[in-house]
Amino acid sequence: MTATSRIRQKKTTFRLLAPGVVWMILFLIAPIMMIVYVSFWTQTTFAINSSLTLDSWKNFFASEAYVGALWTTIRLWLIVLTLTFVIGYPAALYVGLMVKSKTISTVLLVLCVIPFWTSFLIRVLAWRPMLGKEGAINIILLKAGIIHTPIEVLLFSELSVIIGMTQIYVVFMVGPIAFMLGRIDHNIIEAARDLGAGFGRIFWKIIFPLSLPGVVVGAIFVSVMVLGEFATSGALSGRKVNLLGNIIVTQVGSLKWAMASVVGVILTILLGIVVAGFLRIVDLKREI
Amino acid sequence: MTQSDPIFRLEGVTRRYGDLTALDGIDFVADDNAYIALLGPSGSGKTSLLRVIAGFETPDAGRIWFQGRDITDLPAHERGIGFVFQNFALFPHLTVFENVAFGLRNGAQTLSKAELTDRVRTSIDMVGLAGLEDRNPEQISGGQKQRVALARSLVMQPKLVLLDEPLGALDANLRERMQIELRSIRERLDVTFLHVTGSETEALAMGDKVAVLDAGRIIQYDTPDTIYDGPVVSDVAKFLNRFNLFDGTFKEGVFSGPFGALPVSNARKNNSDTYAIRYDRTQVFDAHDANLPGPALPVRFLASEYLGSSIIFLFETEGQKTVEVDHHLSLGEPRHLTVGERYTLSWDPEQAIVFGKETAR
Repeated sequence: MTATSRIRQKKTTFRLLAPGVVWMILFLIAPIMMIVYVSFWTQTTFAINSSLTLDSWKNFFASEAYVGALWTTIRLWLIVLTLTFVIGYPAALYVGLMVKSKTISTVLLVLCVIPFWTSFLIRVLAWRPMLGKEGAINIILLKAGIIHTPIEVLLFSELSVIIGMTQIYVVFMVGPIAFMLGRIDHNIIEAARDLGAGFGRIFWKIIFPLSLPGVVVGAIFVSVMVLGEFATSGALSGRKVNLLGNIIVTQVGSLKWAMASVVGVILTILLGIVVAGFLRIVDLKREI
Repeated sequence: MTQSDPIFRLEGVTRRYGDLTALDGIDFVADDNAYIALLGPSGSGKTSLLRVIAGFETPDAGRIWFQGRDITDLPAHERGIGFVFQNFALFPHLTVFENVAFGLRNGAQTLSKAELTDRVRTSIDMVGLAGLEDRNPEQISGGQKQRVALARSLVMQPKLVLLDEPLGALDANLRERMQIELRSIRERLDVTFLHVTGSETEALAMGDKVAVLDAGRIIQYDTPDTIYDGPVVSDVAKFLNRFNLFDGTFKEGVFSGPFGALPVSNARKNNSDTYAIRYDRTQVFDAHDANLPGPALPVRFLASEYLGSSIIFLFETEGQKTVEVDHHLSLGEPRHLTVGERYTLSWDPEQAIVFGKETAR
C-alpha cells in the first residue's frame, strides 16, 4: 500500500465515522458534561448561577433523606433483579429449551410482549385495583376465607413497588435468556446425558453456563431501567418510597437544577459501575 | 454377563413418528469386540436406530439388551454406551481437557483427582491430541474435534460406542486417515463400535461386519466380502453401488431383459425381477464381435472417468439406462473407445446374480 492510498483510506474512515461521532457528542457527551458542570453551580432558593461550588454535593451526602434514597434505590434494584431472574429464568428455560417446536416458542415469546400493547403508565396504575385494600387480591382472599381482614401492606408500600417493577421488567430478563437457550445444540445436551450426567449436572455444567450471556444482557436491561425508575415508585408507593429518580423529578420540579444534576451524576456513575460489572462476567463480543 | 451373551441384542425394535415407521421390528445380534458398520441410504432409519440404542428415544415396541441386561427402560445417562455425534457436539465453553473429563467428573463414579487426570491424559494421548488440552473447541480443526469427541466417549471405558456418521463432516483426505485410526483405536480396546454411514465404501472398508438397513429393517448382516459377493436382495446390491442392475422378467428359469432371454440356474428371492452384474465383471466388446463370453447388451459409449487405479466407462443402453464398466488398470491398458460409438457389453453369466419373485430350484 502506498502512502497516498493509506492517507486516502484514513480520510474515508474519518468520513464514515463522522456522523456517529457528531451525534454522540451532541446528544450524549455534551449533555453529560453539562450535567456534571451544572452540579457544581451555586443554587440559591430562587435562582442559580454558574459560580462553581461543592455545596450541592455536600448537601446530598449530608442529607439522610438523599443518601437513604441512594440505598433504597440499590436495595430495590437488587430485589427486583433477583426476582426477575428467579421468575424469568424458569420461564425462559421452558420457552427456549423445553418447547421443541420453534413456532410455539415464538408464540410464547410474543405472549410475553402482549402487556406492552398498553402504555407503561397504564400497566403501573393497573396494579392499584389489583393490590388495593378493596382490590382484587384482597377480595379473593377474603371470599376464600384465607384472611379475615384485608392485607393493607399490599398497596402503597415497598412491596407494591417491587411487585409492579418485577411484573413490568421480567420480560426483559426472559427474552435474552430464552434466545441464548434456544441456540444451544440439543446434541450437546444428549452428549452430556450419554456421558452419564443427570439433569441437575447437565443444567449446572452445560445449560446454565451457555445461557450466561443471556442472563447478563437481561440483567443489564433490568438494571438500567430499574435504577432510573421513578414512575412505578411514584404511582404505587404513595410517596413512601423515594428512589434517586423520584428525587430528580422533585428537584427539577422545584427548579433545583444543581441538586438534580448531582443526583443525575451519581445515578450515571452507579449505572456505569453496574453495567461494567456485568460485562466482566462474560465476554459479550465473543458470544454475539 | 456370561461369555455367550452378545454385546447387544435387539428384539423386534419398532419406532414410529406419526404415520412414518422409522424402525420396523428390528432383530439384531451384535458381535462382541467388533467393528460393525451400519449401512443405509438416508431415511432408512440409521440415526433413529442409534438414538434408540443410546436411549435418547424410546422404542414403541421391542426390547434392547446390552451385556445381557434389558436396558429398554433405562435412561440414557445410566446405560454406559458411548455416542459420537456427527457434528461432534463438543461442549463449547469447556477446554479439550474438560470436555474429555466431563463424564468422569459428572457421572456416577467418583475418582481421585490424580486418577481422573491420568485417565483423561491417557485418552487424549490415544487419539493423538497431546498438547492441545487447554484449547477451546473453537480453536481446533474438524479432525481434532472428531478426536476429542471420540476421546470423550472412550474415557468412560464403554463396551459399546455408537458413531453417527462420524466422518461425514470431514474432508476426503482426513476421512481416510480417520478410517484407519478409528479401526486401530478400536482394536487396542475391548470395545464394539457401531458405525453408521451412508457411504458403501466406508462401510465395506471399515466394518468387520456390515449391517445393511433399508426402510427400517436390517436386510443383510454379514462380513463385507460376503455382502459384496452375495447381496441377498437387489436393494443391497443397489446400495453397494457396484452392480449394474437390469429390470426384466424372470419366469421358469429364464430371465428376459435388455440383453435378451437368458437361462438362469439360480435366483434369490426378491420383491422384483432384477439381474445384477458387477461393474468390474462387465466387459466391453466391439459392436459386432461374435466371440462373447455371455449375453450381448448393445450400448452407446458416453464418457469415462479416470480414478487413478481404474477407469470407469459409462454407457447408455437403448432403454436410456446408464451402465458402468470398471476397468482396473492392473489388468492392462483399457481399449480406446470413441464417444457416441456403439459397443457391446458382455460378461460371464456365472458371475451374475439374479433376483426373482419366483426362485429357481
